Parts: sequence; C-alpha cells; structure tokens
Amino acid sequence: MPGTGAAPEVTLELRPGQESQLKLAAPSFKVRGVLSPAARQAATQLENAVRADLEHTGIFVIQGPAELAAAKLTGDQAHDFEQYRALGNEVLLLGEVYEEGGRLALEGRVFDLKSGQSILGKRYRGGFELTRRMAHSFADEVVLYFTGRRGIALTSLAFYSDRTGDREIYLMDYDGLEQRAITGHKSISMAPDWSPTGDAIAYVSFFDGKPAIYMVDLQSGLKKPMVTDGNFNSSPSFSPDGKRIAFSRSLEGNTEIFIANRDGSGLKRLTHSPGIDTNPAWSPTGTSIAFTSSRGGTPNVYVMDVEGTDLRRVSFGGTYNDGAAWDPEGKQIAYASRLRGHLFDIVVTDLAGLSTRTLTGGPGSNEAPTWSPDGRFIAYAAEVGRRTQVRVMPSAGGASEAITSQGNNWAPDWSSYPAQ
Amino acid sequence: MTRKTLIALMMVLAVVAVGGCKKKKPVTNPDMTITPTTVEPTQEVAPATEPAIAGDQTPDPLSGDLVAADEYARSQGLLGDIFFDYDAFELRQDARDRLAQNAKFLTSHPEFILTIEGHADERGTNEYNLALGDRRANAAREYLSTLGVGGDRLRTVTYGEERPFCGESAESCWQQNRRAHFTITGRTNVG
Repeated sequence: MPGTGAAPEVTLELRPGQESQLKLAAPSFKVRGVLSPAARQAATQLENAVRADLEHTGIFVIQGPAELAAAKLTGDQAHDFEQYRALGNEVLLLGEVYEEGGRLALEGRVFDLKSGQSILGKRYRGGFELTRRMAHSFADEVVLYFTGRRGIALTSLAFYSDRTGDREIYLMDYDGLEQRAITGHKSISMAPDWSPTGDAIAYVSFFDGKPAIYMVDLQSGLKKPMVTDGNFNSSPSFSPDGKRIAFSRSLEGNTEIFIANRDGSGLKRLTHSPGIDTNPAWSPTGTSIAFTSSRGGTPNVYVMDVEGTDLRRVSFGGTYNDGAAWDPEGKQIAYASRLRGHLFDIVVTDLAGLSTRTLTGGPGSNEAPTWSPDGRFIAYAAEVGRRTQVRVMPSAGGASEAITSQGNNWAPDWSSYPAQ
Repeated sequence: MTRKTLIALMMVLAVVAVGGCKKKKPVTNPDMTITPTTVEPTQEVAPATEPAIAGDQTPDPLSGDLVAADEYARSQGLLGDIFFDYDAFELRQDARDRLAQNAKFLTSHPEFILTIEGHADERGTNEYNLALGDRRANAAREYLSTLGVGGDRLRTVTYGEERPFCGESAESCWQQNRRAHFTITGRTNVG
C-alpha cells in the first residue's frame, strides 16, 4: 500500500493570497462492501466534510463529482489519471470508506497526476459520531502536505452571543458548525480567551454583580474565579504557556493593565497612566503585551514588554484603535481602527515597518479580530444592519463569510491547534 | 436578566461588599474641577421630600422596599440620570446640574446606598467601552462626593455597551445609551 514519504513533486510554496491554486480532482468516495444505513449517512457526511474543509482552505480549485462527470473512467489507473489531467487537474484525492464492527473507516489518498505517484495516504477509523473529526483530520493532513502547515479544520472559536436573551459564552467549530453554550450564568458573560493549551477559556462575567474574570475548564465544565478582587476586572489574555493572564482592572475609574498567575496570585501592575489602559493581548512569543491606551488622547494600540517597559505605540491611522490580536508568529497585529466616521474596520499592522493594510469595508462596523492558528484567516465581529455576526476572511484580504446567524455574536477568539 | 433581579442581585452585593473601602482621592481630571458656588453648603431637607415626611397617615414611599423607593425617587425627579458626549467621560453642565439635584436628595436621605451604572453607546469597541463606562460612573461618583455624598454610599458598576437602554442605530438613541444611571440599591445604618 503506498503511504506518505514519496517524493513531494507537487509541493507548492503557498502563501496567503497567492493566486495560483492547486487544481484538485475529488471524485465521489468509493464504498467497499455494504454499508448499513447509519454508516451510509456517516459516509456521506464524511465525504462532504472533507470537500468543505478543502474548499475553505482557499488553496485548491476543486472539481467534484459533477465537474468530473465528463471523465471516461475504465478502472485502469494510468488511463483514469490521464482523464483527470485532461480536465485540468494537477492532483487527485481519492477516498474509500467501509464499515467495520459498527465503525466507519476512511482510507484517503492523494496522487500527483503528472507522475501518477501516491503522495499521501492516511487511514482513519471511528464511531459514526466522529465522522466530522475524521474528515477534519484528513483534510488537515492534506493541507499540511501541500503548505507545510497543518490545516485548521480541527480548531474552534469562542465568542459570546445574546441569542437566548442573556449574553453567554459559546464555542463553535472553525466552520461555524456545532455551536454550543459553555456558560449558563443568565447574565452578561463576554470577552472569552482561549488558553493556548486548549484546556480552558477565561472570560468576563457580571453574574456576581460586577464584571470579574472567571475560567471554565472545558473537560469538566467547572467554572472558577480567576480575578474577582476589586470593582471591575476585564479582558483576560493568557500567556502562551497558559500559566498566567494579562487583564485590565479599574482603580476607581482608572483602568490599568495587570498580569497574574492563573489562580489570581502573583499580581503585578504593568501600566501607570492616567488614561484608560485596557484590552491586553499577550504575544505568542510571550515577551510582549499589546494593549489599548488613551494616554495620547484617543484610544491607540501600544506594545510593551511583560515588565511594563519598552513601550511603543503601533497604531497611527484612524481616530480610535482597539482590540489588538497577534498573528501566530508575533510579527503583525490586527485590530479595529475607526476609519469611516464612527465605523471601524479591521486593519493589520506589520510591527517591523509599521505599514498598515485595511482588510474590511462594508455597511457597518468591523471589530474584535482574531487569527487562525495557521495565520491564514482572521475572524471578527461584523455589523450588518442591526445585527453583529462573526465572519471569517483570509488574512491576506478577500471575501469574507458569516459563520454565525442566531442573535448577535461578538468577540470571536480562535483556539490554538488541538493537541495531536 | 431582568432589571429587578439585577437590582436584587446588586442589593445582595451591596450588603456583602464592605471590604474595599474607598478613600476619597483628589480629583485628577482638570475638567472635573468643581465650582463650589453651585452647592448648598449644609444638609437641608429638600422640599420635594416634604409631603412624604409630613403625612404621617400615608406610608412614606421612600421607606418601603428599595425598588419602590427607587421608582418613587425617579418619578418625583429626585434622582435622575446624566448623559455624556461621544467618547467622553467629562461631566457636561447639564450633568453637573443633574448631579447637584441628585446630591440634594442623597444628602437629605443619608439612609440610601446608591449604585451608579456607567453605560456607553454601541459605536465604540466592547472592551474599551467597559472601561469608558467605568470612567463615567466614577466621574459621577467623584462629583457627588465633592457635593457631600459620602463615597461609602456610592458603588459603581460599568456595563459598557452590554446593556443598552435604547436599541435603535440613531444619535437620539446613542445619546440615551451614553449615561450614568443611578439606582437605590441599599440602606445604610443611618436611616
């Protein structure tokens, strides 16, 4: 059986926004043996999920069963590959599913159509309820092979929503499916922040009467206080090792940035300005913290080290800048910049040269950006009409897609890669 | 959460939260410097409260439960909200005038503990607006302190843009949402 490790002849140096996409033929998955009705349903879901995952990446132009109907297949591999090639495809994705002891198995392969060589082969097996997971795992492997960076199909986003009338914290898969509430305080809960190790989410809630920072353990569902002293604590942001958090706290109306251990101990104040200092974001390298400060008159994004020194301003456009989010390499910061009247747009500033590009437009305000762990996408909260929804766009710019629709949905925070 | 359960919640909080005694601190913002001439120097019984005190046979609406007292004070114009400019937490003249009236009521009713909610309109960003709402509530608190309302009777809470009073996307509505809202949420031992 051909597996991985063959010569990567069609590996492309793919960068966000590059025009040349890989042309991929993805015919219907083959079924081995007979599937029970449940397995057949799972198999359909699996195949659709693989295709959707690969579509979402933006790195492929995919010909599915409909586009490939013109291919005259005989079952002879060389002949069939030539047929796919004749339709303009460069690579071929084949899937074969079968049922085994009440579980579904997928064998996925990718071939280089020019050489006819198998370049990737993976086998997955799991219960019918795990078919989306299996599809995501395979799709992420395919993306890893072609880009050198794992796909994001197994990642999730945290956000908050008023769909029940209260504001609760929710999770959803990267594609907006499987939305589920993880708080039920029946209050205002907001500002979720993923622990980089994926075990917990820190958030702000008012259920005890004043905004304070809590943490929900995602395994057990247990919630516990993180920072509740004082009158107003907000905007938690985990350090990359997950052991500490940066947050903002009001000292009688003067909001300052602090850091503390996960359990609230080891409190340390980092800012000392009479202006508002809030919304910290710990850099992925662990050495810097971006935050918003009105010390210069209007809210702007600043970066300091974790001692609170070496401060510099990094936002210079717009009349109001807030919501800094680091790209996974720590080289760029996305934030919301008020560029059109009172409306915000998502901009990205390169920290080395301080050049800034604007990524959004549209009828309403766009705020609260967050990067996918591969750096190829940015999710944000976009106002359209009277509603705010989470949208996803390529970080290089391009068309965006709404991934929420129920109620208003704010403040997305993208998870890290799940543990392998 | 309904307004009433929230008020009830805050009442509980008001009883519990004693630890963080607030020291009066010097006013830091130059815009909030006070002109003492507008202030009545001594405690006076505000005329508006007289009927309630005079009429022995009718129950004093301010001596009932806190929600009723709050509603009464509001309906009689004894306690009112103040409004802010866009992006700002400085107290406008109309806000100072309103705060002077609120102070009059509060000095004549030392039994009440008040929660000042700071609110912002939706046009800022959510997390910055939390800080802005906190500033607004504290600007009101500090001004009331200078008018003789003890800081230990005043609590603050910011809601940022998370609990708007008005849901339309228009300046008339945004103005409604840029406010400090005053609620009677407890009683001191004085009353």
